[in-house]
Amino acid sequence: MISKMVFLPAVAALALMLVPRSQSVVLKTIALAAALLTLMLSLPLLGVLPGGMEQESVSWIAGPLEAAYHVRVDGLSLFFVLLTTLVSVPAVWAAFTYADATRLRGYLALLLLFEWTLLGLFTAGNLLLFYIYWDLMLIPVFLALVGYSGTAQARRAGMLYLIYNLFGGLVLLAGVIGIVVNAGTFEVLGHSYTLDPAAARWLFAAFALAFLIKTPAFPFHAWMPPTYTYLPPSMVALVSGVQSKAGLYGLLVFAIPLFRYQADPVSPAIQAAQYFAPAMLVIAVVSIVYGALTAIAQTNAKTLVGYSSLSHLGFVLLALFAFGFSSISASILMIVSHGVIVAALFLLLGFVEERTGTNDLGAFGGLAAGAPRLAALMLIVAMAALGLPGLSGFAGEFLILIGAWQTQPVYTAIALIAVVLAAVYALRLLQGAMHGPLRAPDDSKAGRSALDPIVLDGNTPPFDIKPRELALLAPLVAIIFFLGIWPAWLNDRVPIQTDIDAQAAVHDRA
Amino acid sequence: MTIQGVSIDFTVLGPIIALGTAGLLVLLADLAGKKTPRGLLYGIGVAGCAVAFALLWQLFGRTATTMNGVFAVDRFSWGFSAILVGALAVTLLLSTLRNADDGGSPGSYAALLIFSTIGGLILAGATNLIGLFLGIEQLSLGLYVLAGSGFPREASQEASLKYLLLGSLASGFLIYGSALLYGASGSISIAALAEAAAHLTPLFVIGFALLLVGLAFKLALAPFHLWTPDVYEGSPIAMTGFMTVAVKAAAFAVLARFVYTAFGHDSIALVPLWGLAILSMLVGSFGALGQRNLKRLLAYSSIAQAGFMAAALAGVGQYGLSALLFYVAAYAFMNLGAFAVIALLGDGDEAYADLDAYRALFYRRPWAAVALTLFLFSLAGIPGTAGFFGKVLLLEQSFSAGSWGIALGVSLVIGSIVSIYAYFKVIWQMFAPQEGESPVVAGNSALSWIPIVVGAAGVLLLGVVPQTFVSFVSAAP
Repeated sequence: MISKMVFLPAVAALALMLVPRSQSVVLKTIALAAALLTLMLSLPLLGVLPGGMEQESVSWIAGPLEAAYHVRVDGLSLFFVLLTTLVSVPAVWAAFTYADATRLRGYLALLLLFEWTLLGLFTAGNLLLFYIYWDLMLIPVFLALVGYSGTAQARRAGMLYLIYNLFGGLVLLAGVIGIVVNAGTFEVLGHSYTLDPAAARWLFAAFALAFLIKTPAFPFHAWMPPTYTYLPPSMVALVSGVQSKAGLYGLLVFAIPLFRYQADPVSPAIQAAQYFAPAMLVIAVVSIVYGALTAIAQTNAKTLVGYSSLSHLGFVLLALFAFGFSSISASILMIVSHGVIVAALFLLLGFVEERTGTNDLGAFGGLAAGAPRLAALMLIVAMAALGLPGLSGFAGEFLILIGAWQTQPVYTAIALIAVVLAAVYALRLLQGAMHGPLRAPDDSKAGRSALDPIVLDGNTPPFDIKPRELALLAPLVAIIFFLGIWPAWLNDRVPIQTDIDAQAAVHDRA
Repeated sequence: MTIQGVSIDFTVLGPIIALGTAGLLVLLADLAGKKTPRGLLYGIGVAGCAVAFALLWQLFGRTATTMNGVFAVDRFSWGFSAILVGALAVTLLLSTLRNADDGGSPGSYAALLIFSTIGGLILAGATNLIGLFLGIEQLSLGLYVLAGSGFPREASQEASLKYLLLGSLASGFLIYGSALLYGASGSISIAALAEAAAHLTPLFVIGFALLLVGLAFKLALAPFHLWTPDVYEGSPIAMTGFMTVAVKAAAFAVLARFVYTAFGHDSIALVPLWGLAILSMLVGSFGALGQRNLKRLLAYSSIAQAGFMAAALAGVGQYGLSALLFYVAAYAFMNLGAFAVIALLGDGDEAYADLDAYRALFYRRPWAAVALTLFLFSLAGIPGTAGFFGKVLLLEQSFSAGSWGIALGVSLVIGSIVSIYAYFKVIWQMFAPQEGESPVVAGNSALSWIPIVVGAAGVLLLGVVPQTFVSFVSAAP
């Protein structure tokens, strides 16, 4: 069941290759149907809540490296899986208007392959599968940047993205093999083993470095601005909405448990996660403040959202390493909400780009005049990003700040600055893009000639949001409202720290 | 004192006899007509490979020695011999390409290639120092000539001369080292060296160091790698592919036999080998970064890969040999596959040695580009390919082998990180859209698709279900 869901997008991607390039309707239908079907297959997994687990295991490799093909979904990974399947549908749908119609097939295939690797990562039940998908995940994004983003800058960004992330990947591989040599198996979840204290620190550092690069967190974010800027919007919605959570997932499910819950309560491995906590908290707080400040200074809407994302994910790091009582459920809430918000934002910016030909805030503006409904959607999503109460962004941030305050008041106090800064950049984005006189560098795309006042009559191409665009965004916006109004729905279903402690303790006795 | 007759077990020598017969037949066929078709000559060679492989198959799992213990078939030699025969078949197939350089005399070219491979087989099965020297010379002598078989090109002549001069020097080290080892142990048998190795007498240490220098030269381990880029760049494409794989397979077979027979876990005498390995990983991967010629790039890559392979022996562990064999097999598939794509596109000549020729290849020749991408993924160690599990096995061997092992493992990771750029630069070119001048016309010969398809199948098979192969190689006694 889990495997079917994971491999469905990959199979669909291969199926696309059998369809002639010119059959764009067939291509689009297959791709969207695959994304929808994957979503359908992922919904029954809600049954694992609360506290349950579903898994499949087939023996795969024995001998010197013992590993099973082991996939699992539990109360934590479920939310990552759902986020992936949920964001993939609008992402694939939004890709229908991919600029080069002759290359649509390859692009859709890359999107679906990307979804496959993400799902594989979040359902991996052992370190081997986790690592395999961790690396494979890079390839679709790299190829999209090199072959499907058009400009020479995008191709350079592809190399930068790849080198940064494969660097992290190989460091992670060293960490993984380090654990496996000590534990004797790749099936480390829920097993206890002993680690030399110095080794534990090195291995945790290797894991953490890889995860921080992927998130990204300051100072490992150099690959992020160009990647987010040059990728096509539908791909960037998946990268920022889902892939950026892969590092946090790794910390949450692998790194922190592996180095925290050990047979011996005073084991040095506990200290490995604890030992690096101050450093991780500093990285978190610097990411939060630096991301927010840099976002304010951006002139490109996509980089602005990228840096805001750096800031928001810093909050999750803060929660994880404050080791507070509610930190895990608050992190999950923040992760899901940020994933939905940022995906919606990038998709909206994609719509804007289709209309104006640019995302440069200096080159266009005042879209509200011609596209009031688009502006209204942008308002909702931007407000969610800045943390307006009643929308999902607020709930996650608030719970994280409350939780972290109890254990780490100083770091939390500094992080609070970013809440104010968030208002500045979110409003700047909204104001720059939507308000004021309508400006666009390519007026033909904006549906008017250069000097004419805006008259949306039958002769101009429709400028406001189209039904397809509205339909694909609607679920994301609905979730933003839902989690904003009723965060407890999610919060009550995430296993809390003590549950996981208890679970680990059971494993330890076994 | 009685003089015993030499007892010969012909089944053990079967593969060598089959290849030898094929080699002689090629020479006879070449003499028979005024102009014997190249296809026939190479065809005889490939048929010889098939017979040799079938005979080798019969030997699977057997342990036996022959020629009074000079030559053995056992867990050290079997897998590497199979790789050698496979590499020969691939090289012969690639040599049939229209513009392949064979110096205008395909008969002697094919025969030399086959006799070289026999040298490799002797080396892989050598159980004493005489056999080792015979094998290595037989392997190298043919290669010295073959490196220059791209006759009209100056680079090829230069390659031949360079290889000959430095290779002879290395052989000198090797035979001097062998002599000292004989002095140290009183026997030419590798098995008898264990006692001398245990005490690390000065004579043994010097002898082993010299032997190691000789082998390191053949394996292109830094700092004995200086000939590699020039020779690999100058030699004809099919030959370069053969040299990277066949020489490594044969020399690692004998090195593994040496290490496993003479040394125990954590022997201090192996420290120089780890030094060479670490240096090779770093020199090879950094050297590959700036290369714009694909053959040169793969030459540097092969230096780094040789360093990686040496890491398999780090702990002289239970699975060390399996890990080494897995990686050499993976390397054979991926590297020969990559060379086959280069040869295919250039129709045997150098048109596709230059990196710029690969611009937008994916949009012109999608299958060739996808195949080359797969081989480069494998070389870079991307999951889903043979290279990935190879690296996992090597890292596992390294990390479970004490402090030198950790140093080896860390260098392996650093080397892999650095070489990402070199490999992905090529992929980047292939997928970037065309700009500027019109592309170089690419060849497309059906025959050279065989090694590409076999290579791709091998890379994927070892990458997705490594178990079949891992259990296969560990099953060998």
